[in-house]
Amino acid sequence: MIQRVNANLVKEIEKFGKGTWNECFHCGNCTATCPLTEQGSLFPRKPYRAMQMGLKTTLAQSTEPWLCYYCGDCSQSCPRDANPGETMMILRRYLTTVYDWTGISKLIYKSKAMELIAIFIIAIITAVLYLHYTIAPSNVAGSLIGKDGGVLINSMANSEIIHVGDWIMAGILAFLLITNVFNMWYKIILSDKSVKVPFGQYFLQVFSVVTNFLTQKRFNKCDGPKYYWFIHLFLMLSYVMLFTMIVFFLAWFQTDTVYDWWHPQRLLGYIATIGLFVGVIYFINNRLKKMKENSKYSHYTDWTFLVLLLLTTTTGILMHFFRIYGMVAATYFTYLIHLMVLVPMLVIEVPFSKWSHLAYRPVAVYFAKVKNAATKK
Amino acid sequence: MTIKKTTGVFLYNPLDGCADTIDFSAVSEYAKQSPYVAAVWNSENLRLIDAKEVAAKFGENGIKRIVIAGDTPGMVKSFFTKAMIAAGNNPDDVFLAGFREYGATKKIHTDRAKAIVACAIQNIAFDTIAIPEEVDVNPDTLVIGAGIAGIQASLEIADAGQKVYLVEKSGTIGGHMAMFDKTFPTLDCAACILTPKMVEIGQHSKITLMTYCEVKGVSGSAGNFKVRILKKARRVNLATCIGCGICAEKCPGSADSEFDAATSQRKAIYMPFPQAVPNKYLIDAESCTYLKNGKCGTCVKVCPVPDCINLDAKDEEVEINVGNIIVATGFKTFDAAKAENFGYGKFPNVLTSLEFERLINAAGPTEGNIVFRSLDKKGRKVFKQDGEVPKSVALIHCIGSRDENHNKYCSKVCCMYSLKLAHLVVEKIPDAQVYEYFIDMRAFGKGYEEFYERIKHEGVHMIRGRTAKIEESGNQLLLRSEDILAGTILEQKIDMVILAVGLEPKEDASQLSAMLGIEQTEDGWYMESNYVSNPVNTFTGGISIAGVCQGPKDIPDTVAQASAAASRVLQSIVKGKISSSIKDISLSHIEAQLSKLTLTEEKI
Repeated sequence: MIQRVNANLVKEIEKFGKGTWNECFHCGNCTATCPLTEQGSLFPRKPYRAMQMGLKTTLAQSTEPWLCYYCGDCSQSCPRDANPGETMMILRRYLTTVYDWTGISKLIYKSKAMELIAIFIIAIITAVLYLHYTIAPSNVAGSLIGKDGGVLINSMANSEIIHVGDWIMAGILAFLLITNVFNMWYKIILSDKSVKVPFGQYFLQVFSVVTNFLTQKRFNKCDGPKYYWFIHLFLMLSYVMLFTMIVFFLAWFQTDTVYDWWHPQRLLGYIATIGLFVGVIYFINNRLKKMKENSKYSHYTDWTFLVLLLLTTTTGILMHFFRIYGMVAATYFTYLIHLMVLVPMLVIEVPFSKWSHLAYRPVAVYFAKVKNAATKK
Repeated sequence: MTIKKTTGVFLYNPLDGCADTIDFSAVSEYAKQSPYVAAVWNSENLRLIDAKEVAAKFGENGIKRIVIAGDTPGMVKSFFTKAMIAAGNNPDDVFLAGFREYGATKKIHTDRAKAIVACAIQNIAFDTIAIPEEVDVNPDTLVIGAGIAGIQASLEIADAGQKVYLVEKSGTIGGHMAMFDKTFPTLDCAACILTPKMVEIGQHSKITLMTYCEVKGVSGSAGNFKVRILKKARRVNLATCIGCGICAEKCPGSADSEFDAATSQRKAIYMPFPQAVPNKYLIDAESCTYLKNGKCGTCVKVCPVPDCINLDAKDEEVEINVGNIIVATGFKTFDAAKAENFGYGKFPNVLTSLEFERLINAAGPTEGNIVFRSLDKKGRKVFKQDGEVPKSVALIHCIGSRDENHNKYCSKVCCMYSLKLAHLVVEKIPDAQVYEYFIDMRAFGKGYEEFYERIKHEGVHMIRGRTAKIEESGNQLLLRSEDILAGTILEQKIDMVILAVGLEPKEDASQLSAMLGIEQTEDGWYMESNYVSNPVNTFTGGISIAGVCQGPKDIPDTVAQASAAASRVLQSIVKGKISSSIKDISLSHIEAQLSKLTLTEEKI
């Protein structure tokens, strides 16, 4: 396919982070250093080149930025200080906006104010719905303290009502994310006329992608300390677990009875909470102290995500204790705050911002595999 | 006649934040005192973003003319031209006061910077007023460093009948060129070109050769320098040593041979190499058993010449008077161990290019056979003459050069010498596979591109993409790189790797520059007075520079520059007069000159 050099693209991409697009002199050091690069998917140099030249189509078709887990080896040894690792990060942010057909992602990534406004609006909507559909403790007839001393939470914020909200939210999220992924599929595979993917390939590659999602084994191939991979994996699995419990099994998760600590409901909750909390603190600390190559340059969207996740986790933990120790009003209002943070976090971050990599990255790995397998044939 | 305050001064300091720069606040204060100056700005109180905004400031202050002063002020001239047009002024009334052009780069040059600004304010070229005084010149010349640059410069001057003191730190002249096997692009034998010149130096009646000596102090100024020179104790009498070598045969002490780039051993009493000039022995104090333990003296016992060796000789200092100094101190090569991913020092068969030059040289450790490096009984890395021959050799370019982690600059010679080495490998081992891993191939000179083509036709594999890392794989080395042109990852198993190390200023370059009062660039190379039009003189009168000490260059360029430096010296000797430096002109002298030249009414 014939393309044109687009000098304006770098100016646009510069807004997605600390770009050093004109430094690279193409020595190939980054690609050869990278433990993840492989035949057919060469990075970081090739996407870097596409960015320098402003080859929009090539970028939109490329899965390479998503294959990078940013260990930072390339940036460290780069003879030009061109930050190839950070450039992959910037390209991931850019591609998130390319896949998003609504255009909201672009607004959020380019303007800090827009992101805050979006979070604020969704928080307000959440608060209004919560206050409208739940019953304030003062309006509840009868005692709100159960036999075991815990707060009877379902008498105020009935799990069934919250659950309906969850479903609506999950529906919206799923719709946005799936359509975006569909758009991504169109951009990466359908629009690339050089590759014809046989239908069977889509099935052949599914297994490896699911295992990669659950074990993050590609991430583990990165050089560097293994605990980094473990913390990320633990955080990711914790998130998935909590999301599943809250969105799909809220009635089981939010009960009036306070079970013993070993009960699966509490135990799973605790493990996942630890995963979230440890992970968030670890990543915040990394970014504050700029400890690794990948935490040296933080875009404001990275911070929003971490802060929202930290707030969600802490309010969740507080609510849990307020409930166990029978503090009725505290439980009710902490629940409100918890939702006012949680809902915007999910609605903004999952389809439009950083959290979307949860879907895009495994899907990109999948598409890359499918595409490479098709090319080989 | 009244003087109108219509001139604005903008101080442009792109080097703001550097440790040692002109004191801009002092220059600012100085400019404010000028009777012509209405306002002084810098980048903090005058943002160079909107020309109209700046034009408005010009209007407020009644500015009709503007002076841009600082390091490379031409960079912002176009902005001020725009602003002048916007303010309705004559766009030609933008004057530049460049500090760097006149060697004002550091804090100690602040007075000169003030003088440059004062001249620009009155629209007078600095060098029309700052004419250094001419003084009588001592016709003798000192040349520091006896590599090809120092040798060439000395011969030029001496052949013109003038006296030259040639001071060399090591025991022989010849420098790096003597270590090379061939020169590019003609593939001449380096020694065949150099040794006749070396011999000529040794025999020339006008040249006083001072090997194993160091310059310790310089006083005086252009035309009449007093130079203190340390004559390190050679411990062998240069006049009586017959160079028979019996002493070295019996000597128990040994060390790595400097000349062979540590690929072989020499004795504590040694001749650096067979063609050394002077062709005499010397004793290295660090490896001498007698000097370490107080017991030995074998060399004295076996020496056939009475009183030739004096183990207790002491360093001496002499003083010489010269009119001109040529600095030709050369370079050192980049320490390849610093670039850790290439495994130099860890893997015995990763060599530096200088080591390989010696290995491939017929006078080298293996008489020119390319063999694997192995460990001897003492665990030292050695090349055995009958060692196994590598079947594949890779050359990796840009080691330590063009690298933000090491040296940012291009060392200029590595591409070409790597091609030369590739040719020599093909010549010596016809069935070997030779690979060049490069980033950009810089074949910039006369006949160089043709040379590159020739080497390609010899079957050397050219790979665009520098290797990222070297690992051991059995007996071989595994090189991982990206072949950028094919768009693929390459993993090659190679027997021997040669790292094309870049050039760096000598360890003591800054010491010598302080002693001589000459400037260095950021990278440490000696600074010429004008990169384009005068790459030979320095800002210090009577001191010229030649060869790599001014910046990386190949042998032809070095020779040309050395001849140019010699011609500058001869110029002053023929004239009998020499200009002292711009540095010696005081601010008050410039001010006195300027006060005679008031700006006329119409000019303002």
